Amino acid sequence: MTERIKEQLSAFLDGELPDPESALLLKRLERDDDLRGALSRYSLIGAVLRGEGDVPAARQVAARVSAAIAREPTRTGGFAWLPGSEALGRGVAGIAVAAGVAFGAVMLVQQVLSVKPETPVAVLARAEAPPIQPVADDTGPLDAPAEPYVTPPAAAAPVGIAPAQLANYLVAHYGYASPLVRRSVGAGLIISEIDPALAETVPAGDVPQP
Amino acid sequence: MSLRASIALSLGLATLPAFAESGQEWLARMGAALNNSSYVGEFVCESAERTERLAITHRVRDGVVSERLVSLAGAGRELVRENDEVVAYLPDQKLAIIERRSGRSDLMGALPQFEGRMSSWYRVDSVGHETLEDFGPAAVVTVRPLDGYRFGYRLWIDLDTHMPVRSDLSDGSGRVIERLRFTRLHMDDDIPDSAFEPAVDRRKLRWVRQSPQSDDIAPAWRATQVPPGFRLSMSGMQSVAGSGGPVNHLVYSDGLASVSVFVQQPAAGKAPAQGTTRSGVASAFTTVVEGHQVTAVGEVPPRTLKFIATSIRPAGLAPDVRPAAAADLRD
Repeated sequence: MTERIKEQLSAFLDGELPDPESALLLKRLERDDDLRGALSRYSLIGAVLRGEGDVPAARQVAARVSAAIAREPTRTGGFAWLPGSEALGRGVAGIAVAAGVAFGAVMLVQQVLSVKPETPVAVLARAEAPPIQPVADDTGPLDAPAEPYVTPPAAAAPVGIAPAQLANYLVAHYGYASPLVRRSVGAGLIISEIDPALAETVPAGDVPQP
Repeated sequence: MSLRASIALSLGLATLPAFAESGQEWLARMGAALNNSSYVGEFVCESAERTERLAITHRVRDGVVSERLVSLAGAGRELVRENDEVVAYLPDQKLAIIERRSGRSDLMGALPQFEGRMSSWYRVDSVGHETLEDFGPAAVVTVRPLDGYRFGYRLWIDLDTHMPVRSDLSDGSGRVIERLRFTRLHMDDDIPDSAFEPAVDRRKLRWVRQSPQSDDIAPAWRATQVPPGFRLSMSGMQSVAGSGGPVNHLVYSDGLASVSVFVQQPAAGKAPAQGTTRSGVASAFTTVVEGHQVTAVGEVPPRTLKFIATSIRPAGLAPDVRPAAAADLRD
């Protein structure tokens, strides 16, 4: 997240972000999980600094988001001008953003306020599982920010080494992987499919069986 | 996104920055557990392409590390390690590959200390505790790369055993690309030798040995540019199945991520290969340099492999290694 986005979030929570920028920020909130989390945390910080309880803090965040949705130029007058399903989808998304951010703020504030001063802080939340993405094939230089990222079509990828040969290399590499990733490398090795036709090209060695 | 999903996400984000214990302290505990504990368990490996269950048996006895990793899917593949020797059993290919690692590398040791030099390319944070369905409360630690040349980790470390009972591997954009999640874990100091016997019929396999022919020799090839923090950790000559002759094997590591570079004469009658191949989170990038096939393999983004592989030169002709300019690499 850039410094500019952070400043926008802060200004938004203070009610000082201009409407056009608020509209753009809402669009980002709809699709950016990290940004929603940041908004929740910022609202928590503000609430704690102000000595507020959970309900006022949550209400304030929800009110900010709701007000921004209401002010968004393309949504003025409600959703009726949009085709039915799209209007409903955008409306639900906006409400979801408001509710999600507010709910996150409530949870955070509740956790902080419920901790007794002499008790070590141990926040227990149920672990969530974000979606798993494919490994990006990008081999370009790092002279530009990583985002936005577009996965190149598979057909554009150049041909690399044969999978069977990759397995041989991975066996050789496995011993040099650090303890943290060795299990991943090993799992990838025994999970990956090897084209039988390619595997046949591996010559038999003269190694006796142990 | 639905309202329910949004609320769920917010719940998931309900963790706070580090408080009582640092991420480095948790990593040190985890590293000790990984290196010294004996255990039996099952875990699920999830990636974008597939989800597969694996069983692991790990024993440390009198300084000897034994490990058996078994796919619980139909193919029945196994990886069995006895100290420096690794055997990959691929019964579906009727193939077994034996790899004896050079004994002089320090890379099989403990996790690196994420202080000083390491803090220039990784940031470690304790982000609180979360409850895992199968294990209860766990400390959550993030290891985030500060550039796009390496992967990051979010680790759930069991409060009792200090084992990483879940780990999410993420790319430079923070997208999760693999998740390893234990569904069962039992610490056991009395694992018998028989637990490391492969279930496959060895007599039906073709055996191929990949062993070092010499190690720690002055490398005949070397990288002229590497990402910040990567250093040459090992160099040697070895045999690799499917290769016509001896292969130069170089290992570059930043302490956490490692890249193996293999340099060899191209196989006779075969067109040289060029491009990227993947296996789980590990990738390979191969290219041709000075008439030799150069292949970089590692659990790093493909761009890192290309960066190193394309800079490989004969040692006699290569200038001193040049790390990538750090200022150009920050996200």
